[in-house]
Amino acid sequence: MAKGRHRARGLTEGQAAAVLLLPFLAVYAAFLVYPFLNGVWISLHDWNLLAVAFNPDAREFIGAENYIRTLWGRNIEWGLFASPVMQTGGVLGIGLAFFGYRSGRLTRATALALGIAGALFFLMPGFHPGEGGRWYDRRFWPTVGNTITFVALAVPGVTLTALILAAALDGETRAKAVLRTVFFLSQVLSVTVVTLIWQIMFSPRQGLIANVAQALGGSPIVWLTDQQLAMAAIVITTIWWSLGIAMILFLAGIQDISKDIYEAAAIDNARGIRAFWYITLPNLKRTITLVVVLQIILHFQVFGQAHLMTQGGPNDSTQVLVRYIYQTAFRDSELGKASAMAVVLFLIMGAFSLVQFILGREGDER
Amino acid sequence: MKHVLIGTALAATAVTGATAQEVTLGRFFGACEDAGTDTTASVGEACIIQSIINAADAELDGITVTTLPTDWGNYYDQVIAAYAGGEPPDVHVMHRHRVPQFAGLGALAELSGDLEAAGIDVSDWAPAALDAVSFEGGIYGVPMDFHANLWHVNMEIMEAAGLVAEDGSPILPSSPEELLEHAAMVEAATGHDYLAADFAQFPIGVRLVLSLMWQQGENIFTEDGTATIDTEAARNAVTTITQLFDAGHADPQLNYADSQQAFLNGEAAVLVNGTWVVDFYSAEAANPDVALSDYYVADFPTLFAEGATWADSHMWAIPASLKRDDPETYAAALQVLAFINAHNIDWARTGHMAVRNSVLASEAYAALPHRDEYTGTASIARDTPAAENYGAIQDVLNRELQAIWLTGKPVGDALSDAELEVQDLLDG
Repeated sequence: MAKGRHRARGLTEGQAAAVLLLPFLAVYAAFLVYPFLNGVWISLHDWNLLAVAFNPDAREFIGAENYIRTLWGRNIEWGLFASPVMQTGGVLGIGLAFFGYRSGRLTRATALALGIAGALFFLMPGFHPGEGGRWYDRRFWPTVGNTITFVALAVPGVTLTALILAAALDGETRAKAVLRTVFFLSQVLSVTVVTLIWQIMFSPRQGLIANVAQALGGSPIVWLTDQQLAMAAIVITTIWWSLGIAMILFLAGIQDISKDIYEAAAIDNARGIRAFWYITLPNLKRTITLVVVLQIILHFQVFGQAHLMTQGGPNDSTQVLVRYIYQTAFRDSELGKASAMAVVLFLIMGAFSLVQFILGREGDER
Repeated sequence: MKHVLIGTALAATAVTGATAQEVTLGRFFGACEDAGTDTTASVGEACIIQSIINAADAELDGITVTTLPTDWGNYYDQVIAAYAGGEPPDVHVMHRHRVPQFAGLGALAELSGDLEAAGIDVSDWAPAALDAVSFEGGIYGVPMDFHANLWHVNMEIMEAAGLVAEDGSPILPSSPEELLEHAAMVEAATGHDYLAADFAQFPIGVRLVLSLMWQQGENIFTEDGTATIDTEAARNAVTTITQLFDAGHADPQLNYADSQQAFLNGEAAVLVNGTWVVDFYSAEAANPDVALSDYYVADFPTLFAEGATWADSHMWAIPASLKRDDPETYAAALQVLAFINAHNIDWARTGHMAVRNSVLASEAYAALPHRDEYTGTASIARDTPAAENYGAIQDVLNRELQAIWLTGKPVGDALSDAELEVQDLLDG
């Protein structure tokens, strides 16, 4: 007995925590930190995937060359009106942050995040190749743009749909329980199955959508080879596929809200949509932040939908970053450049998540 | 008792070790679930190749052949990743245009010293077939076919438009202008499209434009590595096709499956597709439920100065590491290649052209359906240009051509963009 007490005393709280954390940290270091650092290391080399497999000396340290070849170009200039729409948006963001903070409507962190985002939107699109100049990689930035467009459409799409479904399906009736399962079911399918289903849905010859359109007297739309609609088709597929988890998180959040608040509100005649607006939504703020951050991280990594449904086409309009990284690494064997792109993707995802995280904390500080 | 047990175990190991030499095999062509082992009855690329593989598995003593799961669209990515990971399949199929990439790195086994012992007679290969698997003086594979783009023709539509010659063959255009005239005649007589092809997904449009450039004596890049895409010849080739879209005689938005369906449904007079579907379309044309009933296979017509059509070869290769590290499996892998080589006539049933002289000269080959209709193809077949990263170059061309016909990008812009990017790829 005495011995046992002695042992317990011998292990401080910090030591106990270290012992308990060790297994996780070991796995984390071996399977996440090490591969990540290895990727950064590879990105500093001219590294041909196939050539290095047969001759380990075939790689060459080239410093930041891969980053320059990916991000930069010859005779790149910065202009105030190179991309008026995005740059104006950036200026508006900076202005909003400034006046929002001055008037006390925004917290300091939020204003800072918004200001930095605005500055980036003002500065980044201003770069363009000057006379006789060109981007070294002409596809990289348009691909970044496509990926951001996809995230900008898919994240609100999933969040809003899941929120509405969660609010509608919260309750104890049998029908709602069945419908919850039905809406969650798509989540368990693999991307190959999902894209197969939607390729058939979108097909202008045998697709459900085309058949319905024809029955109503319309002409079938060729979704996947239309420059305007291809991205929309991929977003629709993604929303259908990935709203399950978001819906479950929202349902958990909604069920966490005390019923007393709804009862009190009902006395003040706030029911239905008004209760949803004034009680459910404010109380779900943390859940919404969580869902949005998770979705941003998830959807920046979109690959299967674009790869299998449109092959990045037509005219690269659905080419996304992970697919470009995949092609660079495995089709072209340029592992070094692909790793550099992956590091850039990591930074972009990190920055967006950070901004969202700071914005989401606003409510807690007030 | 103990001795008996150990003895039995040893004997069992010896027996299984001697009998079950497993050969893993990687291939594209698609999946066929119930191919069986009858190599003479299967239809379509996937089932014919799988029936040959199943027969090799059943008939070769002491060798089991395991077909690895692969996917057509990502096949080369998978093979490259497998090589990089040090575990490539023991035998795998590939295209001739990939030989510089793989053999150049030392990935493939040089086979010339071992083929004869395995029962493969190299002198029976057609000269072009030997050429297809040769690289810097060595032999890096066993050729299986020549394949090329053909014009698959619906004779019923051609007849309605008055485009059938006295000998019963279709009258095909001999210039871009005539192509447009014929298309208008088909439209007037039947209301159908003249031409269908996959312009929206796989690089069939690229192969079409390549053929039309070659017909003008031009290519997409020179031998010293200069891209020549923003040229008069390329513009002529592209406008030959876009004139059909502009006049409504072809639909650029159809992908592979949809364009094939349009042809089988009798909605297009001509489908541009490869040799690999001849037996499948013949079988479909014989099916009373399919609209296509009078099917003809024509050589790719000459619209400019000289005849030319896109072509390539399928071949089987063995990794260099297998020859070096595992002689037993290497010997078994060679047996599998010899078996496939011996069944060249079965593979030719798909519609592909055979590679062995003895097969090419055989009556069985001449008697294959529609074979006499495209005998000219062998002499106009042109290879994909050799480049280490041809996969990426083809993707650039496919993207820019699709930009022209799917998104209305001006031809000049698309060709100059394509030339810039292909030059980047050629420069490495």
